[in-house]
Amino acid sequence: MSLPDPGLLLDLAATSVGVGGIYAVVAIGLNLQYGLMRIMNVAHGEFLMVGAYLAYALRTATGMGPLWALPLVAGALFLLGLALYALVFRRLVRTSPSQEALEGRSLIACFGLAFVIQNLVLLAFGADLRGYQYLARPLSLGAGVLITANRVVVFGVVALLTAGLVLILRATLVGKAIRAMLQAPLGALLVGIDTRRLHPLCFGVGLALSGMAGVLVSMVYQLSPAMGQPYTITALIVITLGGMGSMLGSLVGGVMLGFVETFGTQLTSPSTRMLFAYGTLVLVLLVRPRGVLAR
Amino acid sequence: MTRGALLLAAVAALAALPWLASPFLLSLAMACLMYAGLAVSWSFFSGPSRYLSLGVSAFFGLGAYCSAWGLPALPWPAALLLGAAIAAAFATAVGLLTLRLSGAQFAVITFGLGELVKYAVTWVEKSLFGTVGRIVADPPQDRTVYLTLLVLAVSAALAYRAVARSRLGLALRGIGADELRAATLGVDARQARVMGFALSAAFAGAIGAAASVRWTYVDPRTAFDPFIVFQTVLIAMVGGPARLGGPVAAAVALTLLAELLRLRLPYLYMIVLGTLLVLSVLFLPDGLSGLWAARRGTPRLNEPAPEPGDPAPGRPVSMAPPAARGPDHA
Repeated sequence: MSLPDPGLLLDLAATSVGVGGIYAVVAIGLNLQYGLMRIMNVAHGEFLMVGAYLAYALRTATGMGPLWALPLVAGALFLLGLALYALVFRRLVRTSPSQEALEGRSLIACFGLAFVIQNLVLLAFGADLRGYQYLARPLSLGAGVLITANRVVVFGVVALLTAGLVLILRATLVGKAIRAMLQAPLGALLVGIDTRRLHPLCFGVGLALSGMAGVLVSMVYQLSPAMGQPYTITALIVITLGGMGSMLGSLVGGVMLGFVETFGTQLTSPSTRMLFAYGTLVLVLLVRPRGVLAR
Repeated sequence: MTRGALLLAAVAALAALPWLASPFLLSLAMACLMYAGLAVSWSFFSGPSRYLSLGVSAFFGLGAYCSAWGLPALPWPAALLLGAAIAAAFATAVGLLTLRLSGAQFAVITFGLGELVKYAVTWVEKSLFGTVGRIVADPPQDRTVYLTLLVLAVSAALAYRAVARSRLGLALRGIGADELRAATLGVDARQARVMGFALSAAFAGAIGAAASVRWTYVDPRTAFDPFIVFQTVLIAMVGGPARLGGPVAAAVALTLLAELLRLRLPYLYMIVLGTLLVLSVLFLPDGLSGLWAARRGTPRLNEPAPEPGDPAPGRPVSMAPPAARGPDHA
């Protein structure tokens, strides 16, 4: 094999960062649920799919641009998260005798939820691939590297979202409370952090993040009701890579996985993409179940 | 033993079914037997040990590929045994590799491995054989498949009872209650976990080898369908894995529901099933058979001992420390 030319490398790196950024946003959402509350939300990717379809529906019905749809979708999924927490997870948390039991029971419940959501969308939109054109014209990055404008938008939104999240976690009181709950759930309770209000809030924010990632995905890729599940797996991989409860770890892990996948598929063939994703998951769980970046 | 005689008569009647029932009824009965066998074999490991296995689709698919690859050359029982052996060997490897993992991680990795095997088989078929699926050459008659599934389901039930009454069952229940405590008291937790998992996988593999020949065409998408594990776990949870009657009755009920709804309203059917699973996790931690037995006061056969913090039956308990239950701190 000849040495790859720098243009191709730059192109692949740009794709990796974009894909990895989306993974990071999804994973941070799941981390808020699993890392914080031990709710093993295996339906997480389905909410990404719902967000993508909402953006698509808004686009086709009103011609609304996906950037305007972003806050609407985030709000809708936040409310959905609050409702789901009140209907399902509040009772689940209350009646589980231990954290282990909660993980197992929430996993099974979310497993059922995933099938419900997927088939609701199938019922509403059918199984066909959907999509819309948004800023698909190419931009030049120099050195012969072309990138479509929508990818640049995706990258910008991802950067803004993660920067905003880090700021909220570092600089606000709510963020401090969340970090406290991540570090020591019992200790957080003892110093008077009201978990009964913060838990539904975090669950809703987790769903909103997944939905926003879905809007971003819908700008670039085609949609199908089955698109969510791979993102659930990716989010689990990223959390495992970056360490449970570590937001920065999720960010780094997401971008890392973006690189592994993009370069892996480039070197072999597109059909091996899922092989790489699942292979990474299995490998990481076997070698470093507490996270690659964990000390 | 009137109960034993009754069960024996029921099995005999089921064995006579191929000569009495219409082809439609027979295929319905085969679906019931397949899921009864899968749910019962899932229950005797995952029920008492609380290690949720989502690897059923992987074992089933491996079995299916054993008969798809081997059938014209291998005799029928050999294909089944091969399916069971390969699934059990795979489960042993997974069990040994996952010894350090917690319950939820175990569930995730068993599901991930199932998908990994699916994509690996797809890749092997494509690059080595240049094909996406296989036609099952010269499949056995429906009658043979039915009787095979009956034998497999009955042996799964017998294995369930045998495990529940053996040292292995005791060890699995100990693991489910508190793995560390069980290990401290001298239970070989590693051995019990791996053996129980492999035994349960062997049944899923054999059932996969037997049931898939009815499709006549096998490809990775159908053989490793996540729906198989979804339905299996659903049946076991709705029926209640702690008693043998639970998964069996739920398998019959849900398979009939599936036949009623699946062809006409496929999406609605899946929505109903998913909702059912969520509801059973929320409101029926012991499944329907647990509800039934609680009314009649029947003892549980195969369930982990209650944890120290477990609520007394029927009394809800809060997981939050006492501080959270006091007046609002807001």
